[in-house]
Amino acid sequence: MAKAAVDNNIKELEKKQQWWWAAEKKRSKRLDYLRKAMWKKGAIGGIYPAGLQVDLEQGILHTQAGRAMEMAPDPWVVKYAKIFAHYLDNKTIFITDNSQLVGYVGSLPHTINWNPTVATILNAEVITDTTALPEPLDESLKVINDVIAYWSQKADADKLIPVADISDVTKILSGTIGWGVPMPRGGYSGKDYEFIMTGKRGFADVIAELDEKIDKADAQAHEPIANLEQMPLYNKMLNWEGMKITLEACIRHGQRFARLARIIAENFETDNKRKEELLQIASCCERVPAQTPRTLQESLQYDLFIQLFSRAEAIEGAWPSRPDYYHGPYYDKDVNIDKRITKEEALDLVGEFLIRAAEVSQYKPKWLREGLQGIEGTWVWTIGGVNQHGDDACNDMTIALLQAARLVRVSNPTFGFRWHPRVKEEVLRECFECIRQGLGYPSMRNDPLLIANSLHWHKHPIEEARTWVHQACMSPCPTTKRGFQSMRMANATANCAKIIEYVFTSGFDPVVQMQIGAETPDCATFTSYDQVYDAWLLQMKTIFSTLVRIVNYSRFVAQIYTPRPFLSGISERSVESGQDVNDPSISQGNSWITAFTWVENIDSLAAIKKLVFDEKKYTMAQLKQAITDDWQGHEEMRLDFVRNAPKWGNDDDYVDSIMLKCLRDCAAFSHKLQDPMGNTWPILPENVSGNIHYANVVGALPSGRRRGDALYDGGISPGPGLDKKGPTAVLKSCSKIDHITDGRAFLLNQRLSPTQLAGEKGFPLWKAYMETWYNLGLDHIQFNCVSDETLRSAQREPEKYQEVIVRVAGYSAHFVDISRKTQDNIIQRTVQGLVA
Amino acid sequence: MPFCKECKKFFPIKGDPSNGDCVERVVDPRQAFYKAKPAVAEKDASSCSSFEKK
Ligand code: SF4
Repeated sequence: MAKAAVDNNIKELEKKQQWWWAAEKKRSKRLDYLRKAMWKKGAIGGIYPAGLQVDLEQGILHTQAGRAMEMAPDPWVVKYAKIFAHYLDNKTIFITDNSQLVGYVGSLPHTINWNPTVATILNAEVITDTTALPEPLDESLKVINDVIAYWSQKADADKLIPVADISDVTKILSGTIGWGVPMPRGGYSGKDYEFIMTGKRGFADVIAELDEKIDKADAQAHEPIANLEQMPLYNKMLNWEGMKITLEACIRHGQRFARLARIIAENFETDNKRKEELLQIASCCERVPAQTPRTLQESLQYDLFIQLFSRAEAIEGAWPSRPDYYHGPYYDKDVNIDKRITKEEALDLVGEFLIRAAEVSQYKPKWLREGLQGIEGTWVWTIGGVNQHGDDACNDMTIALLQAARLVRVSNPTFGFRWHPRVKEEVLRECFECIRQGLGYPSMRNDPLLIANSLHWHKHPIEEARTWVHQACMSPCPTTKRGFQSMRMANATANCAKIIEYVFTSGFDPVVQMQIGAETPDCATFTSYDQVYDAWLLQMKTIFSTLVRIVNYSRFVAQIYTPRPFLSGISERSVESGQDVNDPSISQGNSWITAFTWVENIDSLAAIKKLVFDEKKYTMAQLKQAITDDWQGHEEMRLDFVRNAPKWGNDDDYVDSIMLKCLRDCAAFSHKLQDPMGNTWPILPENVSGNIHYANVVGALPSGRRRGDALYDGGISPGPGLDKKGPTAVLKSCSKIDHITDGRAFLLNQRLSPTQLAGEKGFPLWKAYMETWYNLGLDHIQFNCVSDETLRSAQREPEKYQEVIVRVAGYSAHFVDISRKTQDNIIQRTVQGLVA
Repeated sequence: MPFCKECKKFFPIKGDPSNGDCVERVVDPRQAFYKAKPAVAEKDASSCSSFEKK
């Protein structure tokens, strides 16, 4: 088709808001190939899509290396480093046609990486869920059995669980109050980007630093006169040795890719242009990760390698990063200064970088897959914001990332944009285009406020706080020596609806038939709202304590049981000290409790206060009975609680004051709870898709919800359809919260009408709304901008709407990849009309 | 007895010819790619179903 015809066609598609088809026509042939070549890995309804296979290679190689070293005298950190090295030296590698970046977490593009060293309970699922096992099944089962048998009692969780508080473990594994498991090599792993990504050193430079450290310590340890300073050196030398072994293996791994690229270029490829590209890949992988990058391609490849190596060592459910900040200088040099590549060529690289991240997949248990519908983890990349001096950090790479996202339209990674008053309009327009075109991202984050929040809660120095990235969906964390958090274990994630539920059951969980919460008095005897609230407070403290205690414990012992030699090797604090990166004594601490299903508490307490104690329409005994009966036989009463009790999000002080009281009591408790670094445990209300995952786990609630009904979509977002007074009332309710001292961050979902944002008037309308949001002091907001009509059509004819993306909670997903219940829940959210 | 070094897919490492890469072209339902695994020149290839004489 002639260019003019193609352009007209694109315009037509954009006019009809068929963004996904327009993107397909706009992107380069290379990006189109790579985007379509990508195997989607996110589970649908907890089941991996057809065609994917669990990768047995890491299990086989780890078991091989483990057995070979069985009798070796090496301590675990060195053995583990050698196991890691054996894997990188022997795993299958591949280079996809048309690609310019290389490396994958598994052996083949359609595989889901499985690391058997983390937990036997995870391994057991691999063998029981045969849907994604390679054929012939008998052979796979034989291999898996062998791998599981070898790692039984040796995997992290197997070593940690027997020494942890078994009562806490049982409560957490019941799946009622917490989400995730307390494993130091299974969660959200930050990186010390200020050490390893600022162009000051590559892996070979770190190895040279380690050699110096080892030599010096060795000399000191062998001084003829015994002294106490020698004592810690033995351990440090082992840690340094572990780091060195892993970094050397990473360099060799890069060289394997260089060799493969050359072999293809010299023996197979006939197209001269592609030959050149392959030689370019070879030169790139000869350079990184050993040395510092020189070009945008090398910088992206270096980053990708770091992410993949870290995932060879641990299961990482998040991807904390700041790609515009760290790759921006290389973009600028290549495109603007040296003019080595054009903007379009740079977009190809950036788009491919997004695709390479989107395809990463590590095996997770089914309950976790259900909670992360349609995606592999919450990979929220941070863009925008200020630099360490407080100046605007946006650059051309920020724009390139936003443009590339619209071309490749992957649902993971997504972006969180650090908004501050000096962001240029050009950049804001790019953010707006992504939102208007229905990506559901970037989420918008209030940069100055979140920096102040980091100072308040975790006492990071301001220059460090300014480097912040999303550690997972929402929580800011610096990328500095002491400030970065090496592992955030996901199970400090509270299913908060249980707090109010347990007020009615005196802490007994009717679903799993266990005493989990506090044994508060029988609520039928309560004669005042204060008694209800006191019981609520005690349940909150009990649940939070159970979750925090075990994370604290795991963090205390991580350095002994589950060292991370690779992550330590790219972290200044470990290279300098010889201590494992998870050692609390060298870290500032940046813990938080994720508060799923939070607002249910507020609407429930408001309903009790109003209908039971203010209006005296019902007694607590009657309410307890209705809740016990799951509202069955009490429909009229239920509707009264739904319709006539005040709801959060309508600028109504009656219920909003309850929100503030709950948050402030939590905040006071957060200061008392301490993490192993001696820092606080603030709460952070947000959901992943926990509102659906927990629908059958949470019983009836005084808000009028029945067991099985979807919970609210999370954070401080009002219940779907319950925010009846318009978008400004939602913002006003939310603005009553002190977003610095009341918690770590607060998620707010909003739906906007695509029709309203169409055309030239869309941007000023949105920008004015965002200014109100900013001035009211909110820290987060994210938008869905896809019409009910499109979503309902996608439900009817999913095959025609494969590429429609929606914002679920702290992440985006393809609409067709999420459950019907979640789809309905998104459609139910109020579409807010903005006022000019 | 055939050895890996006699196979078309074996590419010795420069400076270390006793070791090499076993390189194959793969076309899966979504994409085409080249994959590589480490290989040893003197390894018995009689049981390798992918062996192709040079
Ligand atoms: S492993 Fe098989 S295919 Fe590979 S080089 Fe050896 S004989 Fe050839």
